[in-house]
Amino acid sequence: MNREMFETRVLPTKNKLFRFALGLLGSREDAQDVVQEVLVKVWNGREQMGAIENMEAWCMRITKNLSLDRLRSKQRKVTDSMGEGFDLQTNHPTPFERTEIGESMQRITELMASLPDKQRQVMHLRDIEGYSYQEICEILELDMSQVKVNLFRARNFVRERLVKINAYGL
Amino acid sequence: MDSKEIEKLLEKYWNCETSLEEEKQLRDYFQGDVPSSLNETAHLFRYFQTQREESVDAAFDSEVKQKINSGPAGKSVRLWANVARIAAGLAVVVAAGYFIHLEVQKANPNMEDTYSDPRMALEETKKALMMISNSFNKAHQQAGKVKMFNEAEEKIQGTNKKDEQTKIQL
Repeated sequence: MNREMFETRVLPTKNKLFRFALGLLGSREDAQDVVQEVLVKVWNGREQMGAIENMEAWCMRITKNLSLDRLRSKQRKVTDSMGEGFDLQTNHPTPFERTEIGESMQRITELMASLPDKQRQVMHLRDIEGYSYQEICEILELDMSQVKVNLFRARNFVRERLVKINAYGL
Repeated sequence: MDSKEIEKLLEKYWNCETSLEEEKQLRDYFQGDVPSSLNETAHLFRYFQTQREESVDAAFDSEVKQKINSGPAGKSVRLWANVARIAAGLAVVVAAGYFIHLEVQKANPNMEDTYSDPRMALEETKKALMMISNSFNKAHQQAGKVKMFNEAEEKIQGTNKKDEQTKIQL
């Protein structure tokens, strides 16, 4: 892979990689760091990249793995520093962001955040990024039935909650 | 697209039976005005749309390019680095060999030939062999004494056994 190919084929996937990492990490800064790491990895290993069929799906998989590694090391650090006091920082939006996004959009954000990890990841890849089931299998290293079950459960959960919101405003 | 068609498509969506194309149709539909019964569902699809617009910071590309430029060297530079490593290893081995050779020479300065006349050399060799032979003879005589002790010990043990046998017979 030469520089031109890298800039036309790999670099343009940055936003998809970023959104996926952001969904996993919840921090823009961390997500951007992970995506940079992924892109540098691709460039440094460019001589072995010829064998990879779907470069984008491969980059997404590396993004997932590096994000989860980072999440684990952060969790370790938080556990290590328990004696020094709890870190009360959360990913909830500020009141300003609340009004800006709008109440209903905020409800959907919270609804999506309340999904179990696997279901949220599958729904993100399908409904936000528009990947095929086969690509989702490759990215998440799951088989087809697991992907479909997770998506079905996620959509069903969201549907039930939306019905409740519509009916009772909950 | 009329609302009945949308209802049908939505039902398919919740059951995970829609294609990527149909899911795009739904997203497009929910960008416009929708009946109030579909308000919350519209928020969900708008949420997907806004999430898709999330992107990295403007400085991201230049940061990645900078990291790539300062990253590990290309194939030819790595090849030269390996050649240099091997050459350095060889140089160390050769230098070590040379110094060991010097040390051995210092420790044994008489290793060189000392006799140019073959007759004298033969005489000297005979002398040396005679000296070794004398030493062997002396050692042999000493060993003879030890042999004598062994024989005496065996005789004593033999008489003891005879005594015991006569005692048993009695």
